[in-house]
Amino acid sequence: MVTLNINGRNMSVEAANDSPLLWAIREQLQMTGTKFGCGAGLCGACTVHVNGEAVRSCQTAVGDVVGKKVTTIEGLSAHGDHPLQKAWIAEQVPQCGYCQSGQIMQAASLLAKNTNPTKDEIVAHMDGNLCRCMTYSRIQKAIMRAANEMRTASNSATERRAT
Amino acid sequence: MNSHVKMTDLQSTDLSRRSFLVGAAASGLMLGYSAVPDAFAATAPAGNFEPSVWYSISPDGLVTVTCGKADMGQHIASTMAQIVCEELGAKWSDMRVQLASNDPKFNDPVLGAQITGGSWSTMMNFDAMSRAGAAGRIALTEAAATIMGLPPYFKDELVVRESMISHPKSKKQVSFADVVKSGKATKTFTPDDLKAIKLKTPDQYSLIGVSVPQIDIPSKTNGTAKYGIDVMLPGMVYGKIVTPPVRYGATVKAVDDTDAKKVPGFIKAVIVDDKTQTTTGWVVAVANTYAQARKAADALKITYDGGPNAKLSSQSLLDEAKRLQGLDDSGQFFVKNGDTAAAFGTAAKTMEAEYTTNINIHAPMEPMNATAEFKGDILHIYSGNQFATRSGAIAAGAAGIDPKYVVMHQMWLGGGFGRRLDADMMVPAVQAAKAVGKPVKVIYSRENDMTMDFSRPLTYQKIKAGLDGDGKLVALNHDVVSAWPTARWGIPDFLTPSVDKRGPLDSFTVNGADFFYTVPNHNVRAIKNEMAHNATPSGQLRSVAPGWTFWAVESMIDEIAHSVGKDPALYRVELLDGKGENDGGAQRLRNTLLAAMGLAGYGTKQLAKGEGMGVACVSSQERKTASWTACVAHVAVSPSGEVTVKKLTVATDVGTQVHPDNIRAQVEGAALWGLSLALYEKATLKDGGIEQTNFDSYKPLRMSQLPEVAVSVIANGEHATGVGEPAVTVVAPAIGNAIFNAVGARVRSLPITAAAVKEAMKA
Repeated sequence: MVTLNINGRNMSVEAANDSPLLWAIREQLQMTGTKFGCGAGLCGACTVHVNGEAVRSCQTAVGDVVGKKVTTIEGLSAHGDHPLQKAWIAEQVPQCGYCQSGQIMQAASLLAKNTNPTKDEIVAHMDGNLCRCMTYSRIQKAIMRAANEMRTASNSATERRAT
Repeated sequence: MNSHVKMTDLQSTDLSRRSFLVGAAASGLMLGYSAVPDAFAATAPAGNFEPSVWYSISPDGLVTVTCGKADMGQHIASTMAQIVCEELGAKWSDMRVQLASNDPKFNDPVLGAQITGGSWSTMMNFDAMSRAGAAGRIALTEAAATIMGLPPYFKDELVVRESMISHPKSKKQVSFADVVKSGKATKTFTPDDLKAIKLKTPDQYSLIGVSVPQIDIPSKTNGTAKYGIDVMLPGMVYGKIVTPPVRYGATVKAVDDTDAKKVPGFIKAVIVDDKTQTTTGWVVAVANTYAQARKAADALKITYDGGPNAKLSSQSLLDEAKRLQGLDDSGQFFVKNGDTAAAFGTAAKTMEAEYTTNINIHAPMEPMNATAEFKGDILHIYSGNQFATRSGAIAAGAAGIDPKYVVMHQMWLGGGFGRRLDADMMVPAVQAAKAVGKPVKVIYSRENDMTMDFSRPLTYQKIKAGLDGDGKLVALNHDVVSAWPTARWGIPDFLTPSVDKRGPLDSFTVNGADFFYTVPNHNVRAIKNEMAHNATPSGQLRSVAPGWTFWAVESMIDEIAHSVGKDPALYRVELLDGKGENDGGAQRLRNTLLAAMGLAGYGTKQLAKGEGMGVACVSSQERKTASWTACVAHVAVSPSGEVTVKKLTVATDVGTQVHPDNIRAQVEGAALWGLSLALYEKATLKDGGIEQTNFDSYKPLRMSQLPEVAVSVIANGEHATGVGEPAVTVVAPAIGNAIFNAVGARVRSLPITAAAVKEAMKA
């Protein structure tokens, strides 16, 4: 038994320390939003956050995240309303949708640090995430849209504090 | 002409499920599903109103459309709901979708089977879904008149809008929900009644042509959409397949599971005995978890007999293709118009060129998977699949039971692109479930998925053209040599009679070669490369034949135009004169080409040195199911031959737009597939096996390789055509032609490499 902190809750999983985090999340916890794509860190479909950093859960051992905070697509926001999730709907990004959990988690780790990314910064950050439906241009637009919303929200928060 | 498409009069299709038992169903593959009582639990609860097999309305007013097509990202479920909703008069936010089981009542009304491909779905279901929606509206309206206490002849005064039926004169209104609750909507429709319904004309549409929010998208942003790989059944265990080093034809000699037995959770190694011959030499390692199954699979020591294909390579397949093409008596004719031999004899000039494409792999992001569960006499299969009718039969064959005892539970597809027309994933799942007596979910590793793909075959084409003294194209011989993907299905209705009466041919290797250019003497010969067919069982990869036939045709037309000193785009316009059987289609294609040229600034924009624009135009997919698509590619070529695509301008005539935004998404995705196949994706066969195993060696387009893509959609009120595939086929020749215009290098093999461009620059 290993205890993991996933989406803010401590959960026990029966998995060997060296087994991939991906399968513990999907099978043991039955949170299937995190996807298996390549098993080799080449596609990004399995991206989750560990202490806020985007990692490939197929390349991350269960034992390595003990005591750390793991966030999956299911825990990114309370009601599926993270600015990126809203932007993904507004831009109608997903086609088959299979890679999109990973895309959103990868993008979220960018916007957590930089709410004003350039197009080049977006491309550099997202290039490891494959989308076989080729929704790349909409992914870019959605990230820009979400970044804009986050800036506007933080600006108004600043303004409120100022007054 | 392809016999599976029986749609000479689209308006005459109706909802009778008995009237359309053509295609697979007529050739003995029909599932006797209805013999299984209560096999599919998700039937509508009592109290719902079901005016059609395609949807039901619950007492709370929600309209649930059952989609018989596989939804692999083309949002076809949402599109079907949109077409129903238009005629029904429901509020879009009241619409829901569910995915159909393999019950034949959900068969495609035109194809008579459950198969999703060919960019067929919208064009072949538009009429049936419209009539289903209209029938529901009529039934609800008549019931509403009763509820309102209006005499029946008042029903024409009722207005149906946004799930509400109102009578403006008396200011009475009643909701769909209230009508359903009343139980008064009971009218039924015979096929003749349905046929007689007068549908809306396009000027009356309020929803068709509107980019409504796709119903499935929210679930694909929060992790809740369920794909085949996400299926969880009580007591389920996991299977990881071990596949041989040879793509097809190997057999297992021995399995040593000594080390696998040391892996915790390991249950059993199951040698797949595949009577359907879909797979060869596969073993399934079954364990309690997938991580354990992977470990156990790695620990198995398996010895193989490599079989007859173990020495073959891409080069052997190409050599064999060239040998076959050189024989006068090989192949069968798909097109034989006029007398090309005579025309070549009198031609002022003849030209010849060879075009090749390498093996390509589907590689959808969701690796192949299937979950099998035996419950009493019934085999339940959970998997996202594009061809339930045939796949159910394959699963039954793997289980050794009658197909009527197989229930297929459709899931969202994490990409299809034609890959999920095949049913190989069901074979190991079924046999493992049988062997261990528990439900088994088999998940391919990416390595299994790539090396065991039913790939786009290696193709070799040779074209000979004859020109008259004015440079006019008067004769064309076009030989197409490839594995035959659709012949592999063994379903006669999907084959096409040859025009030289030498038996059926696989038109899904030559579609597109029967183009809309007027060429008085024109032969197209389909030659089956038996060696490739056996060694690399091929499949239908997004756009199928037009993905290679137009590479050859549209490159060759360009070569011809340049050789006679004409602008290649205007040369095409001359060939698209609309004479004879090309009338209609040719003009639409011409107009689309001109639109793309105008949008791209073809011939007007000043380009830098080393840059060029190239055009191509295509009538993908099949002649009977064509869309009209043109592309202008703008490329920059470096002295070392590196090609940068700066912009793709794509125009497409789709007749009627159901969902403009989705069409743009599909066309852009298809065009980028075309780019990916043109420049980046290449698989190779060596020692009988596919050499590429993961995304480090097989390299679909990534975000950093994205060019500017401009898509323009022409909607001229003709029937809705398909949009998922045609733009795949137009991009590679447009890029090849642009490279020639940029640096004078002609490339004739896909994918285009810098080395090949540099070599051609020297030539």
